[in-house]
Amino acid sequence: MNRFELVEPATLDEAVALLDPDDSAVRAVAGATALILMMKARLFRPSRLVSLRRLQGTLRGVHDEPAGGLRIGALTTLTDLERSDRVRAAAPVVSRALRTLSNVRVRNVATLGGHLAHGDPHMDLPPILMTLGARVRVVSRRGDRWIEMQDLVRGYYVTSIANDELIADVHLPAQPADAHTWYEKFTALSADDWPTVGVAVWYRTGAGRITDARLAVGAATERPMRLAAAEASLIGAAADPASFARAADAAADAIEPLADIRGSAAYKREMVRVHVRRALDKGR
Amino acid sequence: MSDRHQRTIAFTLNGRRVRASVATHETILEVLQRDFGLFGARESCGQGLCGCCTVLVDGTAVSGCLYLAAFVDDADIVTVEGLSRGAELHPIQRAFVEKTGFQCGFCTPGVILMTKELLGRYPHPTDEEIRHYLSGNLCRCAAYPDIIEAVKRAAELMDPATLTNPGPRRHGDTET
Repeated sequence: MNRFELVEPATLDEAVALLDPDDSAVRAVAGATALILMMKARLFRPSRLVSLRRLQGTLRGVHDEPAGGLRIGALTTLTDLERSDRVRAAAPVVSRALRTLSNVRVRNVATLGGHLAHGDPHMDLPPILMTLGARVRVVSRRGDRWIEMQDLVRGYYVTSIANDELIADVHLPAQPADAHTWYEKFTALSADDWPTVGVAVWYRTGAGRITDARLAVGAATERPMRLAAAEASLIGAAADPASFARAADAAADAIEPLADIRGSAAYKREMVRVHVRRALDKGR
Repeated sequence: MSDRHQRTIAFTLNGRRVRASVATHETILEVLQRDFGLFGARESCGQGLCGCCTVLVDGTAVSGCLYLAAFVDDADIVTVEGLSRGAELHPIQRAFVEKTGFQCGFCTPGVILMTKELLGRYPHPTDEEIRHYLSGNLCRCAAYPDIIEAVKRAAELMDPATLTNPGPRRHGDTET
């Protein structure tokens, strides 16, 4: 790792004041697990890291929102998220996915904000949070703004968070009682590897038909993304294997998979097809 | 080297208050080895996957190879060297010896510290919980079945109410 300046502000205001709108080598860090990996590989050479570890208060923990849903502080560790009764009640799909996300030690240190800000397409939570309709609040000296989860990651390690912004919290809306959710994670190498394909689904049913559907894929593509054609194919259809297979075909047709050590583009396209079908079926 | 890149940290290391001068980019693993001669936590994969560099920070297991030394300022650090009391091994260590929960021993310090966190949270873990907790600790000798037996034995030794077999006499025990 290269040498860098490390600052540890005590307040959020001080933290955002230490970011630099014109310098992407200045970064906010919380657990820093993902960033240290990039620094060790010399893919990222910071000039200054703004550590958020001395900020506590409302940026840590899972809170009920008065109007329903949850507000999750960006500094909440993935372990705290995994063990949160509120999260388990509101979105068990999140709690379940966290059990297979990296390992206990990484989850003890890594935070939700860092997980989302990193922009790595292999992260498990972005596709899930997209289907749950989550939003992210980012703050800077200019104020704060909301980013829809589906708009947060714009490319391979590219996010819509500006250099002078950092994630303060995540809003998870209350889920309808009839929502079917599932996250299907497929690892082609070892069981604890990064996913080759991650598929998150969310759909509602009424009178035997699917009335609303959201479907997102991660890991196989350059960024996690909703797949509109697959979603459209589900709405109005029966929640049955034939409809799920049609949606899986639509998803496989819509993506441009990236080839890497976890598989060729053609292989990943087939794995997306398989795992979309499975996710929809297991969500039943 | 400018001061912006260097700082003095103070922390508790295996029960002792210590200070160290560290560069901001150094990991706690590097500092434990260089400044304190502690090699129980050792780097293997360097990516947080294998668990060989596990240390406890305020009772929580972390990968020492991915944890900046500057972040342990004011923290309480425990390494495998801090578990025994003099010649008396910690019950987890005794259990690993008794059940031979290792072969070459390279991964063992990390496995033992993960077991410490596990038993702190689940004093009587199921096999599934043991496997889940230790899934990030790789043993290239594949001593996994014995490791799981050792963790179960450690749970017994740490909770005398469940002790069915007191095990071999330890160094320091008195005849009764």
